[in-house]
Amino acid sequence: MFDEMYSDDAQIRKHYLQVNSWLRTMSSTVISQKNFEAESHFKRIGITFSVKDDDMTERIIPFDLIPRILTNYEWAKIEKGVLQRAKALNAFLHDTYNSGEIFKAGIIPKEIVYKKSSYDQSMINFSPPRKIYSPIIGVDLVRTGKDEFYVLEDNCRTPSGVSYMLENREIMMKMFPDLFHTNRVLRVDDYPTRLLQTLMSLAPKKCDSSIPTVVLLTPGHLNSAYYEHTFLSDQMGIEMVESQDLFVENDLLYMKTVDGPKKIDVVYRRIDDEFLDPLCYNPDSVIGVPGITQVYKTGGVNICSAPGAGIADDKAIYIFVPEMIKFYLGETPILDNVETWRCERDDELTYVLENIEKLVVKEVDGSGGYGMLIGPKSTKDQISEFSTKLKSNPRGYIAQPTLDLSSSPTLIDNEVSGRRVDLRPFCLVGEKVQLCPGGLTRVALNKGSYVVNSSQGGGVKDTWVLAD
Amino acid sequence: MLSRTAENLYWISRYMERAETMARLLDVGYRMSLFPNPKGYHNEWDSVLSAAGAAQGYFTKYNEINQENVEDYIFFDEENPSSVYSCISKARNNALLVRTAFTPEAWVAINKSYKEILELKNKKFTRADLPNFTEWTIQQVNMFRGSANSLLRNDGYHFIFLGTFIERADNSARLLDVKYFVLLPTADYIGGNLDNLQWIILLRSLSSFRAFRWAYDGDVTSTKIAHFFILNNDCSRSLSFCINNIVYHLNCLKCSPDKISDIYSGLKSVHSSVKDETVESIIEYGLHEYVTNFVSKISFLDNQIQNHFFR
Repeated sequence: MFDEMYSDDAQIRKHYLQVNSWLRTMSSTVISQKNFEAESHFKRIGITFSVKDDDMTERIIPFDLIPRILTNYEWAKIEKGVLQRAKALNAFLHDTYNSGEIFKAGIIPKEIVYKKSSYDQSMINFSPPRKIYSPIIGVDLVRTGKDEFYVLEDNCRTPSGVSYMLENREIMMKMFPDLFHTNRVLRVDDYPTRLLQTLMSLAPKKCDSSIPTVVLLTPGHLNSAYYEHTFLSDQMGIEMVESQDLFVENDLLYMKTVDGPKKIDVVYRRIDDEFLDPLCYNPDSVIGVPGITQVYKTGGVNICSAPGAGIADDKAIYIFVPEMIKFYLGETPILDNVETWRCERDDELTYVLENIEKLVVKEVDGSGGYGMLIGPKSTKDQISEFSTKLKSNPRGYIAQPTLDLSSSPTLIDNEVSGRRVDLRPFCLVGEKVQLCPGGLTRVALNKGSYVVNSSQGGGVKDTWVLAD
Repeated sequence: MLSRTAENLYWISRYMERAETMARLLDVGYRMSLFPNPKGYHNEWDSVLSAAGAAQGYFTKYNEINQENVEDYIFFDEENPSSVYSCISKARNNALLVRTAFTPEAWVAINKSYKEILELKNKKFTRADLPNFTEWTIQQVNMFRGSANSLLRNDGYHFIFLGTFIERADNSARLLDVKYFVLLPTADYIGGNLDNLQWIILLRSLSSFRAFRWAYDGDVTSTKIAHFFILNNDCSRSLSFCINNIVYHLNCLKCSPDKISDIYSGLKSVHSSVKDETVESIIEYGLHEYVTNFVSKISFLDNQIQNHFFR
């Protein structure tokens, strides 16, 4: 296991020296007090998440005081790799809904794509502004060695968690200002400004103003990410709208304001495709806007991300991303995929069944750490139960080797102890393609655990990228 | 600003203002109950219920009037849409929906009030606690108003204070009406000892007794008090003061001028009821009639505001 703070000969890595000496100065009383302070802060501002199997009760995500540190050198590779991926994914989306060159070249079998429910037929032959379908991409990365970063999955629809990246930094700077004097940490707080610039650069052709009107469309206060919706619209200074605030007239989208109707140019939507427009998708949707798709298709408004963008982050498409990078950009992939077996192929299914105790098996359409089997951590009964499910529906599963995720120093009962982590940086794709230097580090708080999901005992950390 | 946001802000402040009025009304009842009650007068708790517009709801639930029940109904009862609890809880729900139009301080103020009243609601209390509840409520509302001052001076801010003064104009008028129409059985009593005592209690409940003393020389008379609550521009609860503030906040809105002109008729009619009147003319016309008329004018203006800005 790669330890992010200690080198193999048990020396503290250079970039952790300052944080290590800071840790030594903190008594367990101070740690408890600071933990309490952080928790009260998160409670007060109401930054909560919902847990699926717990009757949707709201909980606060545990916050670990020790930052996860990445050097500038490490970051340079991540940055290049993520930017490359983000460009390729958008190029793929345009290709898949237009001429389909990658299918003609025989690189991706087209039936894999066309059969998926996330493939939106109504997007065929349509091209959004700047040919950008997915302006915000969250790439989930894991680390297994000094220079070994792997992409676990891409999130091309509406990746969430960026409010944690910003709030975690905010609380760290508030509680430990001295740490930021002794370490040169790159700032993340301009992310909302960059997000707004990105969205404004994606104004549709009918937009006649030099300052496009951007809004955030939320499903409402019962949504588990509602805090993030209010936070981002507040930070960007844009209206957070619900469907009842919007209406369509003469192929344009308006919001009802005290000044009368105001035209909207860009919608940063935080609702799923199927609820977007009851006239075009799910007719029972009450959180969508009737007619918005028609406005979109005629260039009256841009919807970010584009309907149908989800096909690019499908687990079945994931394995082709390195090929996409070569095909569209003519480049060698900088970040590797995790080796993946598709159970729908007979030979791969056989391999998976024979080696299941070493593998992680995931549902193709699952998320949040649910519906998966971690071979080395499972009992014989669990494995045989899962094997049966696999055999009856091989198309529904993929398998990956169990990665030895890197560990990062974490405070457990006021003592420092290594816990496994992952990383989700947020890439913005507009006029510019850029990666915010930081991201959301999730940490598996249970000893030896590989599951970092907040719903299953995961916590979060502030993520630092050092300036030099 | 979104119409929905403006509407929510308008109602948040109306609910908070109403919570304060309800608490102050109970205080009027409480103070009056401490004085001997001569025959022929209405029961003070009866008056409080009428003024709160809660009599009908109360009697579907209780058969007789007593302090404990009235107190519980007006402070804590979820079934009473105007109880202090209902007001604060509705204000908090509205605030949840417009968090982007609120500063964190303003949100925390309302959220804290809500959490505290939830706790208070479940405690056993005694008669003597009533003044504490009133004081608590006034403090909460003051905290909300204070935190609203941290807002950007945009339309949202003005809708908040528009709501405050529309509600207060209505509430002040109703309080005056209780005093005249409900508490005193016949006009013959006007000017008598009891009449003055009731006025003074009203002044105290509105935290205005000292202000009144500073504003007027000599004896406390009903004419002076009527002037104080209706026409005095320095009294922060007077009808005139409320109208001036409604005009001010409407003029500050950055909305298009034709929106404002739409509600000009309602505004003009409300304005004339304080601009063109003297205390003498009001008393001659009949205070109760004047107040009834005023309340319906405010309600007309409120309708116009809602139709033109929020629909």
